[in-house]
Amino acid sequence: MKIAVCVKQVPDSETRINLPAPAAELDRTGFTRVLNPYDAFAVEEAVKIKEAGADVEVTAITIGPETVKETLKKDCLAVGCDQALIITDPGLDNADEATIATVLVAALKRDEYDLILFGLKAIDDDSGQVGILVAEKLGLPHVSNITHLELGEGNLTAHREIEGGKEIVEATLPALLTCQKGLNEPRLPSLPNIMKAGMKPMESATCADLGIECPANLVEIKLYSPPPTRGECKLLDAEDPAAAARELARLLNEEAKVI
Amino acid sequence: MPNIAVFIEQRDGALKKVAWQMISEARRITEAAGGEVWGVFLGPDAAAATAEAGKYGAHKVMAATADAFASYDSELWGTALAEFCKSQQPDLLMVGSTAMGKDLGPKTAAKLGCACISDAVAVKYEDGWEVRRPVFAGKCFADLTPRTDLTIVGIRPNAFVQAENPGAAAAEEFAPGIDGVTSKAVVKRIEAASGGKVELTEAEIVVSGGRGIKGPENYEMIEKLADAMGAAAGASRAIVDAGWVDYSHQVGQTGKTVGPNLYVACGISGAIQHLAGMSSSKCIVAINKDANAPIFKVADYGIVADLFEVVPTLTDEVGKLGG
Repeated sequence: MKIAVCVKQVPDSETRINLPAPAAELDRTGFTRVLNPYDAFAVEEAVKIKEAGADVEVTAITIGPETVKETLKKDCLAVGCDQALIITDPGLDNADEATIATVLVAALKRDEYDLILFGLKAIDDDSGQVGILVAEKLGLPHVSNITHLELGEGNLTAHREIEGGKEIVEATLPALLTCQKGLNEPRLPSLPNIMKAGMKPMESATCADLGIECPANLVEIKLYSPPPTRGECKLLDAEDPAAAARELARLLNEEAKVI
Repeated sequence: MPNIAVFIEQRDGALKKVAWQMISEARRITEAAGGEVWGVFLGPDAAAATAEAGKYGAHKVMAATADAFASYDSELWGTALAEFCKSQQPDLLMVGSTAMGKDLGPKTAAKLGCACISDAVAVKYEDGWEVRRPVFAGKCFADLTPRTDLTIVGIRPNAFVQAENPGAAAAEEFAPGIDGVTSKAVVKRIEAASGGKVELTEAEIVVSGGRGIKGPENYEMIEKLADAMGAAAGASRAIVDAGWVDYSHQVGQTGKTVGPNLYVACGISGAIQHLAGMSSSKCIVAINKDANAPIFKVADYGIVADLFEVVPTLTDEVGKLGG
């Protein structure tokens, strides 16, 4: 069985954005880059399947600059992926979701996979589209937002989180899944495994290597702007907490008019 | 003159109110720019959706009422929505950023090869579309311009204000083109979760608890306040990871993003990952013992006190207002 895990390197969630005024570009210097936390669920699930079965091969695939290699090594290869493919192309610097999907489709078509795993979404763009776009472009069944997975012979059952419950979804392989928290607890890489990960195959490719031209974006980013500033916090006198609670109820009802 | 289509989501016949918010906003856009607002509905019976959509200013509601649309199926519903777009050619299709909409929007866009923008909070039309969405966990906004004739836009629940615009929407049918299309991933059944009565992402009020509740047995206090307010009960990542509450309650990064009218944070310090999921709330209340907790930086109202001395009284007071 061949599994592909499509991952993204993103700025750490603690990253501060330095954007005093609206601007066409973001200052991205000084960002600490890590594996997208949702992708860790996808990587862990692939490795669990590998550990449970015979003859399972896991390939991590990413698009990004050369600097993604460290993240791939530490958070994919060192925790159990067998090999990695990095698609690096200057034409993809400001790629939108559709462009990323088209490039990944080219990579996923080159080698045939039984199961393709994505994180639910990336924490930087927060859009959650790419996995679903890829599934449709490959003509594969997909289940998005999964919190549980059982693999059968040539098929799968997944739990998909919805409002107030979950859908129990069945599909045949090959299939594509996007992984949500609850699916598993991602392991941390051990130091010896990080050292050994350097020995695992890591291939670099451009769009041309995959037999395609860099696609044109369907959406352009015009401007980044800082979020609206919030007013000062009105601190209530808390000497008597119960009185403060009563005053809060009154303010929410009469001033803010939200209850 | 842009024509805007709005997807009206139903689950088991229950209509999602984000549709009325989207129709209200679409009507505001077309009042200024011209064009029409069309509801698009998939389900066994379109009567209620059509009547309701008319109240918020939809000119017509186009429905496909095949039995196949009784429950969600990505392939069949995506096919139908793509067929609708091909035959009716709206300039923009709004889909609520719900569990269903987040799946259906990109699915449909991939079938059409059109631009798709997720989880938007504002849409403008001036010689073309400009769509605003939070990125980097709400630390900044991006204004996007699509380059295709049709754009599918996911809309965050509660981003738009619902406003009545009385009228009657014309009822029309469209051919969903699903003959010969087979399901790819099949929903076998739906299991309801125990717990919260109000769902987080669409809730108008959210009451969340964090480490300050001290133990899983005290989450009930958060739920009681949520009940009194008609709110959904949320949680910080810390207490989800500690196993005190189910992760379906988690607000923030790797949890749910909410934008309610009122967010009440009880015993939550306000780590950047938590703020990511709730900082677009319109009014924020923080109750925390630590005056230096970052949650007070985003709060509109704050009480620096032990939540055990505040929340029960607040619950009683809110109960009196409701009574």
